[in-house]
Amino acid sequence: MAKKPIIQFNHVMKQFDDDAPVLDHVSFEIEKGKFYTLLGPSGCGKTTILRLIAGFTEATSGDILFEGKKINHVPANKRPINTVFQDYALFPHLNVYENVAFGLRIKKVKKADMDAKVKEALSFVNLKGYENREIAGMSGGQKQRVAIARAIVNEPAIILLDEPLSALDLKLRYQMQYELRELQRRLGITFIFVTHDQEEALAMSDEIFVLNKGKIQQSGTPNDIYDEPINRFVADFIGESNIIRATMIKDFLVEFAGKQFECVDQGMDPNEAVEIVIRPEDMEITSVEQGSILVTVQAQLFRGVHYEITCMDDAQNTWLVQSTKKVNIGEKIGLRFTPEDIHVMRLNESEEDFDRRLDAYGEDENNAK
Amino acid sequence: MQNKTFRNLFMLPYALWIIIFVIAPILLVVYFSFFDINGNFSLTNYKNFFTATYLQMTLNSFWYAFLITVISLLIAYPTAYILTRTKHKQLWLLLIIVPSWINLLLKAYAFIGIFGTHGAANRFLEWAGIGSRQLLFTDFSFVFVAVYIFIPFMILPIFNALDKLNPSLLYAASDLGASKWTTFRRVIFPLTLDGVKSGCQVVFIPALSLFMLTRLIAGNRVITLGTAIEQQFLVTQNWGMGATIAVFLIIIMVGFMALTSIRRRGV
Repeated sequence: MAKKPIIQFNHVMKQFDDDAPVLDHVSFEIEKGKFYTLLGPSGCGKTTILRLIAGFTEATSGDILFEGKKINHVPANKRPINTVFQDYALFPHLNVYENVAFGLRIKKVKKADMDAKVKEALSFVNLKGYENREIAGMSGGQKQRVAIARAIVNEPAIILLDEPLSALDLKLRYQMQYELRELQRRLGITFIFVTHDQEEALAMSDEIFVLNKGKIQQSGTPNDIYDEPINRFVADFIGESNIIRATMIKDFLVEFAGKQFECVDQGMDPNEAVEIVIRPEDMEITSVEQGSILVTVQAQLFRGVHYEITCMDDAQNTWLVQSTKKVNIGEKIGLRFTPEDIHVMRLNESEEDFDRRLDAYGEDENNAK
Repeated sequence: MQNKTFRNLFMLPYALWIIIFVIAPILLVVYFSFFDINGNFSLTNYKNFFTATYLQMTLNSFWYAFLITVISLLIAYPTAYILTRTKHKQLWLLLIIVPSWINLLLKAYAFIGIFGTHGAANRFLEWAGIGSRQLLFTDFSFVFVAVYIFIPFMILPIFNALDKLNPSLLYAASDLGASKWTTFRRVIFPLTLDGVKSGCQVVFIPALSLFMLTRLIAGNRVITLGTAIEQQFLVTQNWGMGATIAVFLIIIMVGFMALTSIRRRGV
């Protein structure tokens, strides 16, 4: 943590009139050169954070710092930050070259330098030779690339991307995910990417902030967030999951679906009411005798890569399982999982407490070794 | 086949309308322009048009139409811009447009009252210590009233163009480092140019042939082509010369239309 954060939010609040706040005391730090994703459902405040960083709107209270300096009142055109807009916002009266050169012209860059920079930016986004094209004649994917070129050509400290892939078709979206990630690595510019698509977030980010209702629910690497969601919202929002009410009997022992299971979590109170998460791909379909729990198959969908099977156990909990094996509806099957597959979540635990608890038993484990 | 017949049948009223009320009158005007005052076929009218009197009149018309258009634009653009940023913009727009529903003659007479020797304007000037002066029958009052009458027609198309502008383009300009003025110059104005052009068309073309105001407000001190046509038809009874001036007016208008509607780019 020796690195100085490039962007820092200190208890930032954003509220319109007397409505519920769009952002509710949000604090976070963003380090230079990483790929960040703000992930959340629509209306969670992720775009507001982006607009605050870009300078299109001002915080109701709290401080926004850029390289340690407060920038709350610095207008957007004075910030070394560029945005790739959701609708691309390309200037329809200018051609590709002029769109990309827009920022350079304002900085009064010399003609020869400008030509070279525009050319380089366009080649970065694989649009070599498109300089004289009109915007109106371009496809969504091409417009997207022009918008990215227009941002990177200014060599900003940060590039903000507001759901830039949402208007593209699936195949192009996958391709652009690779390209964006690759571009970020090559340029080393800090990217802050906003999306509601959890797959996109997991695939591209160094770090993810999961937002809901104007608050950061959890932040961490894609692995952290996927494997150790802090609460029901995060577990549900990131990937498919089975969330079941449970009771923590004691450390390493949790009870759900009428049975007790060994687990790897600790630090809760004895007999505390908790929720457990098991990912559908972590469960294996076995015979009734070998299963950790017994369920009845209710429905089955073929998803191409796997079957998605919905089952119900005797305690009326619904279980979603992904398996390459086909089963029969109405059949009794066993589901097998290991203690590592069970992730226990406390109810209403804050991110600080969650991290502290994880750190605490992380040390225990190290001591034991 | 039947479809095509039907379509032609529906087209018929419009075609008739255009033939009777647009094409035929223009042809008639052209036809009349070739007859002198005695009803003989000749080109004297055209010869006369290229004399100092009529060329001066043409220049005059141009100059006043130009003044009226430019002043209207200078007032209308900022007004339209402010309107798009107000809360009840449709209501404000309506209020600005309402005066254009009132009869032109009525408005002209109202201004005669206001600008008269003992009118409200002069009383205000006296009160302000500047002293009363001749206002009516001056170039100033003519341009003032004309601008007043044409302004709603200039505001409407510009307002529509500004209102359609995608706000994220303005954010994008600011994001790329543009100041407010640069954003206006490089993004807002070029993208609303079509509105400005149609505004100029609907102001410049009628302004070119204004005739009633020239008599009522300018007291025939300003003689434009419009006035000349009226005089030729109603006073001199020289239909041929009146038609010739009209032909030139039509040519100028077509030229202006062509000039202001050069290709537009995508949205």
